[in-house]
Amino acid sequence: MTRTLLSRTKTGVMTAMTLSLAMAAGSAQALTLYTAGPGSLAKKLAAGYEKQTGVKVDVFQATTGKVMARLEAEQANPRADVLISASWDTATDLEQRGWLLQYQSPNAAQVPAQFKTPYYVAQGISALGIVWNTKSGTSEPKDWGDLTKPEFKDKVTTPDPSLSGASLDLLIGLQNAHAQQAWKLFDDLKANGMIIAGPNAQALTPVLQGAKAAVFGAVDYVSYASMQDGESVKVIFPQSGTVIAPRPMMILKSSQQQKEAKAFIDYALSPEGQQLVAQAWLMPARSDIDAKRPLFKSLKLLPEDPKASASRKDVLDRFAKLFTQP
Amino acid sequence: MNKNAFLPGVTGLALLLLVAVPVSFVVLQAIFPHLDTSSYSAPFSAFFRVFAEPQMLALIATTLKVGLGVAVCSAFIGIPLGALRGLFRLPGAALWDVLFLVPFLLPPYIAALSWMLALQTNGYVQQLLPWLHLNNFLFSLPGMIAVMTLNIFPVVYFAVSRSMAASGSRLADVARIHGAGAFQAFVRITLPMALPAMASSLLLAFTLSIEEYGVPGALGSRSGILMLTTGIEQRLADWPIDLPGAAVLSLVLVAMALCAYSVQRAVLAGKNVESMTGKPADVTPKPLSGWTFPVLALFSLVALIAVALPLASMLATAFSGTLSGGLSLSNLTLRHFATLFAVHGDALGALSTSLSLASGTALIAGATGFLASWLVVVRRIRGAAVIDGLSLLPAALPGIVVGVGLILAWNRSFWPVTPYNTWGILLLAYCCLLLPYPVRYVSAALKQIGGNLDAAARVHGATAAQTLRLILLPLVLPSLLASMMMVFAVASRELVTSLLLSPAGVQTVSVFVWRQFEQGSVGDGMAMASVAVLLSLTLMLAAFRLSQRRV
Repeated sequence: MTRTLLSRTKTGVMTAMTLSLAMAAGSAQALTLYTAGPGSLAKKLAAGYEKQTGVKVDVFQATTGKVMARLEAEQANPRADVLISASWDTATDLEQRGWLLQYQSPNAAQVPAQFKTPYYVAQGISALGIVWNTKSGTSEPKDWGDLTKPEFKDKVTTPDPSLSGASLDLLIGLQNAHAQQAWKLFDDLKANGMIIAGPNAQALTPVLQGAKAAVFGAVDYVSYASMQDGESVKVIFPQSGTVIAPRPMMILKSSQQQKEAKAFIDYALSPEGQQLVAQAWLMPARSDIDAKRPLFKSLKLLPEDPKASASRKDVLDRFAKLFTQP
Repeated sequence: MNKNAFLPGVTGLALLLLVAVPVSFVVLQAIFPHLDTSSYSAPFSAFFRVFAEPQMLALIATTLKVGLGVAVCSAFIGIPLGALRGLFRLPGAALWDVLFLVPFLLPPYIAALSWMLALQTNGYVQQLLPWLHLNNFLFSLPGMIAVMTLNIFPVVYFAVSRSMAASGSRLADVARIHGAGAFQAFVRITLPMALPAMASSLLLAFTLSIEEYGVPGALGSRSGILMLTTGIEQRLADWPIDLPGAAVLSLVLVAMALCAYSVQRAVLAGKNVESMTGKPADVTPKPLSGWTFPVLALFSLVALIAVALPLASMLATAFSGTLSGGLSLSNLTLRHFATLFAVHGDALGALSTSLSLASGTALIAGATGFLASWLVVVRRIRGAAVIDGLSLLPAALPGIVVGVGLILAWNRSFWPVTPYNTWGILLLAYCCLLLPYPVRYVSAALKQIGGNLDAAARVHGATAAQTLRLILLPLVLPSLLASMMMVFAVASRELVTSLLLSPAGVQTVSVFVWRQFEQGSVGDGMAMASVAVLLSLTLMLAAFRLSQRRV
């Protein structure tokens, strides 16, 4: 009895060691993708790319904040080949640090100029809006300011901009467009009992169950996906305008597999890849691919002022300070 | 290599790798903030910087408040229930024990997420009892303490009930015969005898709650309450990261946990009120007579709140088509389970990753723990104290600190090979955290075995390894197996180190559930949670049965 147990233990350890060697050898050829946003989309893109090229893709999916933190922590020993962020701003930042590889995919020809630079290109585009529970007993909000009304007292959530890249883009967009007026709006929302509730789905869950009535600045694709599942919510794009959040794809300069990484970007921008993007309820980056949801051309966007672009850190700090006050 | 030095050598090396390396890197990083650039400049500057931050004091205060709050509340629930269970003939005693094992076994993050879905406005409880408004209570400090207490109070319950059952009533009977009143006998005899068990279990409750990440992670983000664990995670995993800051906070947390842990050991060591003589004692619990009904009602109430409610909430979500559909038959679906078991889904991958990692951890922690306790208890080799200390240290190490340590240690460019960014790093983390289970169980079993068995074998020419394999291992096998099953069950659902260390392409059960809450479908997450809970409950109960069967 004892003997068999010991020999079994030995076999187990041997198996584990063999497995680990096999896994280490396998991962040497795999492409590593760090991505924010829908994990199922990343999985599907990885599977499609693997089918086409035979190269396996290891996916790390988390919020933009966590993906960027991981990238930073691994600076001495970089692992990621391709990065898909949910915030355009993070790509600009990485480019300035000189971490990115210049690459223009032939498939990017159909991507409008505003969604590509020599270093990065949009995978897809999300828009931010109000997500409102139609059974909540409140009247349908039409604009951001409606959420400061008494009927929405203690009934609004918002994703944490330090975690959600798209949510941060909305803050920056509102501040660029309205300056001080934007902060007046945040003050009023805070006074009306709006709470910060983690990343996107965590802000949406209480609204789905009816604990809250609306999300301020929800990423639309998460909500469209839950509507498809039968949840009674509605995505509303405010009258005064909102922002769209293109999701930049980029290749890290430190990548050991630049050829495969480029092929991955090509695949994500291929008609097949863009169909997958559309199925995840995002707007495809290519203008020649259709989607089953409103496209950005039909949305009213906040005016952009490239000169006044607020610094990410300042906006985050100010927002965090406002909402951590007792 | 010298045959006699081989086993101690292997054990020492394993302990060094599993425990000493991550811990020393946390200390080094905290002292030398620029360690990542191989510079030893500005030592201790991170301490000044972190302690100068205005929210630092609040962070420590909240952590202490939660720890003390959970200890006090656990005392209020655990001590009376434990005393009733230990001293009286409670109908269905074994059943209550099993029931109160459940909340302790339910992973805290799953419990917290379940409580959220049950208690928030328009949650399941309010859908059934519309007048009950618990939303504001849940998302507050007292709410967090309550949720943690419901997870942790069984520690106190089991300690008190076992201690009172073992020693309490017999000596109190003697006092009664000599004229003491029932109350007097309880206060003067029974209570003091159970005090060490109470004190040490309350300190354990304190340690467990200050180390917890899942509950503050799930509830704290909605209520804006930050504890040390969530604060460390934030510095480490949110952009921009702050490695020295995370290391300093880790040391603060370890200091708190070590304090509680050493006080606990001192309490147990100093006050020896053991009344067991080794001779079989006739333990006769008293009848409850007229009190049977109220006592059963009390037990049922606690079981309903601590066990039935979170489990029901978890299952309701897993079987609900939509959250906005609420509790109704038309909303019933198996969709989430279908998603889980769909081919090519990442759920099955997560399940198999967790199960393989848990088996690996059980084997490694079991083997290392067995060797370490053998060296300490039986062989009493030189350096036994170091081995003992290293193998039990993780009991006072918060999971998040082990995670921080492993990142700091292995995510460096100077290692020729590193387990970082492979599943190996998760194995290291789990083994370190769970090592104390086999060490405790096996040490206790080894201490019960008389030294003459070992000596007799050696006299007849057996080598140390032979004695170990042919005599001691078979004798401690039930305890070892029980502890390994415990390790398996806990490792298969571990959250915080998995969140920090999972490499690209590797997902565990806990990470899957957590990510579903952050970015995906709550229903899918809860379906996965249900499968995992069912699995770990089965295993833990098996381990419980195994450990009850004495050698």
